[in-house]
Amino acid sequence: MAVTATNSDSPTSIFFKGETGRNTRGLLRLIILCTIAAAAVASRLFSVIRFESIIHEFDPWFNFRATKYLIQHGFYNFWDWFDDRTWHPLGRVTGGTLYPGLMVTSGAIYHFLRFLTLPVDIRNICVLLAPAFSGLTAFATYLLTSEMSDSPSAGLLAACFMGITPGYISRSVAGSYDNEAIAIFLLVFTFYLWIKAVKVGSVMWGGLTALFYGYMVSAWGGYVFITNLIPLHAFVLICMGRFSPRLYVSYTTWYALGTLASMQIPFVGFLPIRSSDHMSALGIFGLIQLVGFTEYIRAQLPSKQFQTLLRAMVLIVFGVAFGGLVLLTVSGTIAPWSGRFYSLWDTGYAKIHIPIIASVSEHQPTAWPAFFFDLNMLIWLFPAGVYMCFRNLRDEQVFVVIYAVLSSYFAGVMVRLMLTLTPIVCVAAAMALSQILDTFLVAEAPAEPSGDATKANGSASSNGSANIKDKLNSAIPESLRSTKAPLVGIYSYLSKSLTAGAVTAYLLLFVLHCTWVTSNAYSSPSVVLASRLPDGSQHIIDDYREAYYWLRQNTKQDAKVMSWWDYGYQIGGMADRPTLVDNNTWNNTHIATVGKAMSSREEVSYPIMRQHEVDYVLVVFGGLLGYSGDDINKFLWMVRIAEGIWPDEVKERDFFTARGEYRVDDEATPTMKNSLMYKMSYYNYNSLFPAGQAQDRVRGSKLPATGPELSTLEEAFTSENWIIRIYKVKDLDNLGRTHQEAGAFGKGNKRKKGGKRRGARVLRVD
Amino acid sequence: MRLRVLGLLVGLLGLVSALSAQGNKLLVVLEEEADKSRYSQFWSSLSDRGFQLTYRSPKDTGLSLFQHGVPAYSHLLLLPTKAKGLGPALTPNLIVDFVNAGSNVLLTLSSEVGIPSAISSLLLELDITLPADRNSLVVDHFNYDTKTAAEDHDILLLPSPKQANNAIKDYFSVDSLVAFPHAVGQVLGNASPLLSSILKAPSTAYTYNPKDDSGDSLEDVFASGNQITLVSAFQARNSARFTVVGSAEALEDKWFDAAVQVPGAGKKSEKTGNKAFAEKVSAWTFKEAGVLKVESVSHYLNEGPQSTLTNSSSALGQANVDLNPTIYRIKNSVHYAIALSEWSGTHWTPFTPAAADSVQLEFSMLSPFHRLNLIPSSQTPTATIFTSTFTLPDQHGIFNFFVEYRRPFLTNVEEKRTVTVRHFAHDEWPRSFVISGAWPWIGGIWVTVAGWVAFVVVWLYSKPAQPKGDLKAQGFRR
Repeated sequence: MAVTATNSDSPTSIFFKGETGRNTRGLLRLIILCTIAAAAVASRLFSVIRFESIIHEFDPWFNFRATKYLIQHGFYNFWDWFDDRTWHPLGRVTGGTLYPGLMVTSGAIYHFLRFLTLPVDIRNICVLLAPAFSGLTAFATYLLTSEMSDSPSAGLLAACFMGITPGYISRSVAGSYDNEAIAIFLLVFTFYLWIKAVKVGSVMWGGLTALFYGYMVSAWGGYVFITNLIPLHAFVLICMGRFSPRLYVSYTTWYALGTLASMQIPFVGFLPIRSSDHMSALGIFGLIQLVGFTEYIRAQLPSKQFQTLLRAMVLIVFGVAFGGLVLLTVSGTIAPWSGRFYSLWDTGYAKIHIPIIASVSEHQPTAWPAFFFDLNMLIWLFPAGVYMCFRNLRDEQVFVVIYAVLSSYFAGVMVRLMLTLTPIVCVAAAMALSQILDTFLVAEAPAEPSGDATKANGSASSNGSANIKDKLNSAIPESLRSTKAPLVGIYSYLSKSLTAGAVTAYLLLFVLHCTWVTSNAYSSPSVVLASRLPDGSQHIIDDYREAYYWLRQNTKQDAKVMSWWDYGYQIGGMADRPTLVDNNTWNNTHIATVGKAMSSREEVSYPIMRQHEVDYVLVVFGGLLGYSGDDINKFLWMVRIAEGIWPDEVKERDFFTARGEYRVDDEATPTMKNSLMYKMSYYNYNSLFPAGQAQDRVRGSKLPATGPELSTLEEAFTSENWIIRIYKVKDLDNLGRTHQEAGAFGKGNKRKKGGKRRGARVLRVD
Repeated sequence: MRLRVLGLLVGLLGLVSALSAQGNKLLVVLEEEADKSRYSQFWSSLSDRGFQLTYRSPKDTGLSLFQHGVPAYSHLLLLPTKAKGLGPALTPNLIVDFVNAGSNVLLTLSSEVGIPSAISSLLLELDITLPADRNSLVVDHFNYDTKTAAEDHDILLLPSPKQANNAIKDYFSVDSLVAFPHAVGQVLGNASPLLSSILKAPSTAYTYNPKDDSGDSLEDVFASGNQITLVSAFQARNSARFTVVGSAEALEDKWFDAAVQVPGAGKKSEKTGNKAFAEKVSAWTFKEAGVLKVESVSHYLNEGPQSTLTNSSSALGQANVDLNPTIYRIKNSVHYAIALSEWSGTHWTPFTPAAADSVQLEFSMLSPFHRLNLIPSSQTPTATIFTSTFTLPDQHGIFNFFVEYRRPFLTNVEEKRTVTVRHFAHDEWPRSFVISGAWPWIGGIWVTVAGWVAFVVVWLYSKPAQPKGDLKAQGFRR
C-alpha cells in the first residue's frame, strides 16, 4: 500500500512525467482499485469456503425469502405482498413494511444474468451480493476521499481501509444478505455526490445525490442518518457564514427531489413530512430559502435598514416556525420522536420503556474494546485525520468533521452504528496516513528554505507568496509557529526510512488483524456452529438446520410454530412454516403475548396457544452443549416484554430468588419452575444423566432431582445436541377434562369422590 | 387411505340393514348367561336394527375392546355386574381409550346389584357423580307404580322425557309412561358442556339407601328432585357417545309389557312405554339418531361477475367460478354455504335445526369479527344448504370461516376454513381525480406547473431594463 504513494524520481521516470505520466498514474490507480476490490471480495469469502454457500444469521433469511418471492411472483405482486405465513394470525403487509432496495437489486441482477443466459441460482446471488457491493464501497470511498484531500494517495488508502476493515466486514461477509450490504455503499456514494454537488453547485450533482438518496431510502432504515447529516452540514455552513449559491442550489435540489423519491417507498410514505426525525431537513430547507432571500434583500437595501429588518425577521420567523412545530407535534400531525430515536440520546431509555429494542444485542451500547477490535489502528489515526481537516477547512472538510463527531457518538451508543462510523474513520485515517506518507516517502531531499535561517520552517511552497507569509509569521505568536506553514519536508534518510518502515509495519499488522478478525469473529454463519474436537479437527454442530428440516418434512404445511422472535425468520426461511412472531418486531403486543405464554404456567399458556392456533413450540436449549445463546438466557427479556403489557400477570421479580439471583437449580423460584419455558427446556433432561446428576453446562448449575412435567405439550423432536427442542401442543381433552386431570387419570390416580362437597351445593341448570 | 375408504364402502354395502351411521358391531357385556334371557326383547330389537351382537362375560379372558390397536367393536353395552370391578379388559382407562377412539358406550346401572367402584371412578371422569352408597336408589312418593311398589315406592313412573326448551331437538319422547325400577340417580357436573340429561327424576324424588336404617342419610340426601338424572348422555368432543341408564331393569322384558298405575284417584292402569324408550335411547347412543354430516362447504367472492350466481349447487359447478379461494381482500363481499345432512336411520336427509335454533357462522381471527345466523336457503335430496352473504371486515389477517355447531344430542360439527384477507393492493385504491376532496390539491399542482412555465417564459423573454441591476440579480442566481 505504501507503494501507492507516487514517487517522481524512479528510474523509469519517463512513465511518470508529463502526459504519459498522467496516463500511467491513471492506469495504475485503476489497477490498484480493482485489486482492492478483489481483496475486499476475497476476504469476505471465508464463510463460503469454510462452510458452504449459505445465508447467515436471522434477518438475511427473511431478505432471502422475500427475494425468492420477488423472483417468483414478479415486482407488483411483491409490492402488494401480504404475507400470511408470519405473525399468525395477524399477517404482515410485507410489501409495505420492508425496504425493497436489497431484494430489487438482487432481483435485477438475477434477471440481468438470465438475460445474458447465465442461469445463476438466486441463492448464490444473495450470498455474494454483500462482497460484491463491498468492492463498490471501496471505490465510493476512494471517490469521497479524493474530494477531501489533495493527496493522491489518500483516496487509495481509504479505499483499501474500507475494503478490509472489520467494522464493515462484520455486516458484509458472504451470506450476510442484509440491508446494510448495499446500504453502506449507497451511504458513502451519496455523501460523495453531495460533496461534489456542494463543490460544484450544479443541479445535476444535486439531482444525482437525490437519486442515490432515494435508492438508499429504499434500502435501509439508516437513511435517516443522511437525512439529518446533510441538513446539519448545510446548517453549519450557514452558521459559519459560508452560505453560497452553490450550497443553495445543491441543497434545494437534493431536498426537493430526494424527499419526493423517498416518499415513493410505501414503508416511508409520508414520514418525511410528518415525523420529527425528518423535520430538520425540512427546517433547513425553509431556512435556506430565508437566508437566500435575505442575501437578495441585502443586495438591495442599505445596511442600516437591513439590520432592523433582519432582526425583526429572524424573531418572527423563529417564533412562527417553533410555534408551528410545537402545535403540529401536540396536535399529532407530526409524529413525536420515535423510541429508537430517544434511545440514541439516553442509553437507559430503551431498557425502561421499550424492552424490545433493548433486548436486541446489536442495540446495546458499544464496549470500548470493540472500537479497537473493529477498526484497529484506524482508531488512533482517525482523530489525526479530523485534525487535518481543521488545517484546511473548506466546505467538504466541515462535512468530515460533522460526520466524525456525530457518528462517533452514535457508535458509542449502539453497537450496530459502528457501521456508519467505519466509512468516516477510513476517510479520516487515510487523510492522516497519506499526509505522513507524502511527507516521509519522498526520496529526494526538499529544497533549501527560501527564507533566512531563523525561519527554520519557512515555506517550501512554490507560489512565491513569501512576503505575505513573512508578515503572517510576525503576527502569529511563537507558540503557534507550527500552524503557519505546515509542509516542509524531511531531510534525513534515517528518519524517513524509520517512519516509512514503522508505517509499513503498522499497515501490515492492520492487514493481519483484519484477516484474523474476519476469519475468527465474523465468518460464522451462526446457523451452523463450528467447534474443535480434541484432535484439532473441525466439528460442525448443525442442530438448527436439523430441527428446521425436521419441521419442514414432518409437519403440516400450515402448522404454526411458536418460538421466541429471534428464530422467526429462520423458521420461515428454512422450515417454511408459519410463525407467530419474527425478527420484524412490528407488533410489540404480539411478541408480549408469546412472552407471556412462555413465562406463565401451563394453565395460562395453553388457552393462549389454542387461541393462536399454535401447533408446535420451539425452544433453544444450550444446557447440554454449553451454548450460551439459548432461550433460558434470553428468558428475562421475554418476561420483561410480557410485563410491559401485563404488569399484573407477569412479574420479573418472581423469577428471581429472594436474594435476587436468577437460578435454574433447586433454589429456582416456583414461578420459574412452573413457567412453560423452564419446563420445555429441562423436560426429560434428567434422563441423560445418572439420577440426581443432571447438570446445566451454560448456567453451571445442578438441576433438581426430578425434572419438570408437561401436561399440555408433548415432546415432538429434540435435535442431536439438544439445542433445538420442539413440542407439539395437545388437542383439547376428548372428555372435556383439563390436561392435568387427564394425565393423572392416565397414570391411574383416582379422582376424589365428588360426594363430599364443601359449602353450598351448586345446582345444575339445564 | 384410499383402501380404507374402499373397505368402509364395501362394509357399508354389505350391511344395508344396519341403521347406525357408524358400524354394527355391538359388544354386550353381561355377567351370567342366564341374565341374557331377561332382556330378550331388547336384544331382538337391536338385532332387528342390524346390529351384530356379541355377548361376553367380563371374566372372559379372550375379551378385548381393541384389536390391532383399533376398536374391535363400534358399540359397547354394559349390563350391571356384581363384581367390584369389570376385569382387566374393561378397566376405566381402556373404556376411556375406547371412547377416545370414537366408539359408543351404553352403560346400565342397577341398585339391586350395586355399582362397582371402577364404574364410579369412570363416571367421575365424565363429571357424573353417583351416590356414595352402593345400594342407593331413587324413591318418589308421588310417582310410583301402585301395582308393584305400593310399599317401597321405588319403581318410578315417569312421563315422556321432553326437552327444556325448543332450541334442542327431541329424540326421546314416547307416548306413555316409562317405568323406572330401582334406579340409580346420577348428578351431572356443572362444568362440563358435554353432558346432558335425557331423563330426569320428578321434583318429588330423592335418593335413599334402604340398607341404612338410621335415617341419617335422609338428613343430608345425596340429591333430590330435578337434580337427579336417571338417564344421562355424554357426548365426547369426537362425538363418541356414552349413555348412562340408571336402571338396567327398565330394559327387561318384564317392564316392556307391564301395565302400571300411578297413585291417585281416577288414574287408570296403562301399558309402559319402556320398549319405545329403550329403543330410542339405544338408537341415539349407537348413532342411529342425531348424527350430522357436513356434505360440502364452499365460499366464493360475491363481487363482479360472480355476484349474479344463485345459491344452487348447479351454478357453483360452473367452470368460471373461483370456488373456495385462499385469499380475499378486506371489504370484499363474500358468499358462504355449508350443506348439512342428518342421518335418518336409513339414509342422509336434509338437516333442520330445532325451532329456536340456528346454525351460526363465525368469521374470526383471534376473536370473531362476524357471528352470523346462516339461512337455510335451499335443499338437495340429502342436505340443507345454509348460506350467508356478508362483507369482510376492514382488517387484514388470517381468518377462519368457522362453523361450530355443538348442540345436545347432535354430533359436533366443526368446520374451519382458513382464508387470508389481504390489504388493498396499490392499484385498487380510487384514483385521485375520482375523489372530490383531492381536487383542490390537484388544482394546486397544475396551477404551480402553469405558474412556473409562465414565469420561465416571462423570465426568458423579458428584456433587462438596467444592465447593472440585472447583473447583480444574475450574480446571485448563478
